[in-house]
Amino acid sequence: MANLKEIKRKIKSVENTQKTTRAMKLVSTAKLKRAEMAAKQSRVYANKINEVLSEIAYKINQYKIGGIDSRFFEKRSAIQNIDIIFVTADKGLCGGFNVQTIKAVRGLLEEYKEKNVKVRLRAVGKKGVAFFNFQNIELLSSFSGVSSAPTYEKAQNIIREAIDDFISGATDKIILVHNGYKNMISQELKISDIVPVEEPKEIKVESKSLMELEPAEDETILESLMKKYFEYNMYYALIDSLAAEHSARMQAMENATNNASDRVNMLTLAYNKARQESITTELIEIISGVESMK
Amino acid sequence: MDTLKLEIVTPEGQIFSGDVKTVTLPGSEGEFGVLPGHASLVSLLQAGVIDIELSSGSHEVVAINWGHAKVDEKSVTILADGAVSIGGGSDSEIANSIETAKKLIESMSDSDVAIATATAKIESISRVGKY
Repeated sequence: MANLKEIKRKIKSVENTQKTTRAMKLVSTAKLKRAEMAAKQSRVYANKINEVLSEIAYKINQYKIGGIDSRFFEKRSAIQNIDIIFVTADKGLCGGFNVQTIKAVRGLLEEYKEKNVKVRLRAVGKKGVAFFNFQNIELLSSFSGVSSAPTYEKAQNIIREAIDDFISGATDKIILVHNGYKNMISQELKISDIVPVEEPKEIKVESKSLMELEPAEDETILESLMKKYFEYNMYYALIDSLAAEHSARMQAMENATNNASDRVNMLTLAYNKARQESITTELIEIISGVESMK
Repeated sequence: MDTLKLEIVTPEGQIFSGDVKTVTLPGSEGEFGVLPGHASLVSLLQAGVIDIELSSGSHEVVAINWGHAKVDEKSVTILADGAVSIGGGSDSEIANSIETAKKLIESMSDSDVAIATATAKIESISRVGKY
């Protein structure tokens, strides 16, 4: 009988877990809808600003337009210092979402170590921070509490230092790593070099004219455009990552709920078997008792 | 007839995309018009209205607060911070969008002249009734 009770208790416990995972899935589904909308809206702008900047980079490198601070655009032959900014979630229970980003960052770390390049890490999100702290890998700066509710101001704060270091010459390259949203069921790891700005892979329109800047007398126009470019890329990485996080969690919780119901089925079967067994034993006892009285 | 490919995007999404005959932009150094074959140019835009002439000859108007424009021979890309397309199916919708556009421009621009010019332009467009 003790066995029966124990199985019953196990079933209850699994059912409770199932309730939790189901609720978490529903929450993620609702949040995903909002995050997905935000990500989709900003994607157009993010893509366009990248496209424009890469075209400008191409032209500046092609025609060597004088007087422009081309530090943002020129290709470095020797890269010595790199900043990697990576975005993870603040919370777990979302399958391989965080692990994928962390793995990619470690891969980059090793790759650059071989090339004798100094890499500094800037982490966004509790999970990434916790992992690298545990591994005793130094983080230059860490931000948490951002990935669950990204705003433009927060993105500005994160990227500002990195950009200042780049402008002052402390770093030669900035890489942004985040796990982005692809569709409802899959995520896509995105590793992009923010600066120096990459040139377009293919030149769509071969234009012969030089590029003019207006107002021409100062470079504030490129500066403000670059600023927008950095901040928007960071912001987009945050919201894209949030959408991906919710889709990953939704899936993970769906799987957990399914596993729990499989487990309940198995346990119920075991319970019924145990119950039948005990009934059979009891019957045998009664029958043999009656037989012996004859 | 040659056309330009015009795209207007804001952080909230795409406002306009299509082939146009000509477009007039509120540059920070003054208003300028762009026709197909324009030399490459990157310009800062100030609060004002973008006047678009479609290939059919009709006009469309978009108000922006500030942004950047990138022009080359075949295309114009406008990265605006905020933009409101003026138009709509009914009179009330148009009036509504004009109101939002005015607010958008007033919120961003600190020079009274710029606000006055932009609102006057918007109003003249609404008076004509054709935009």
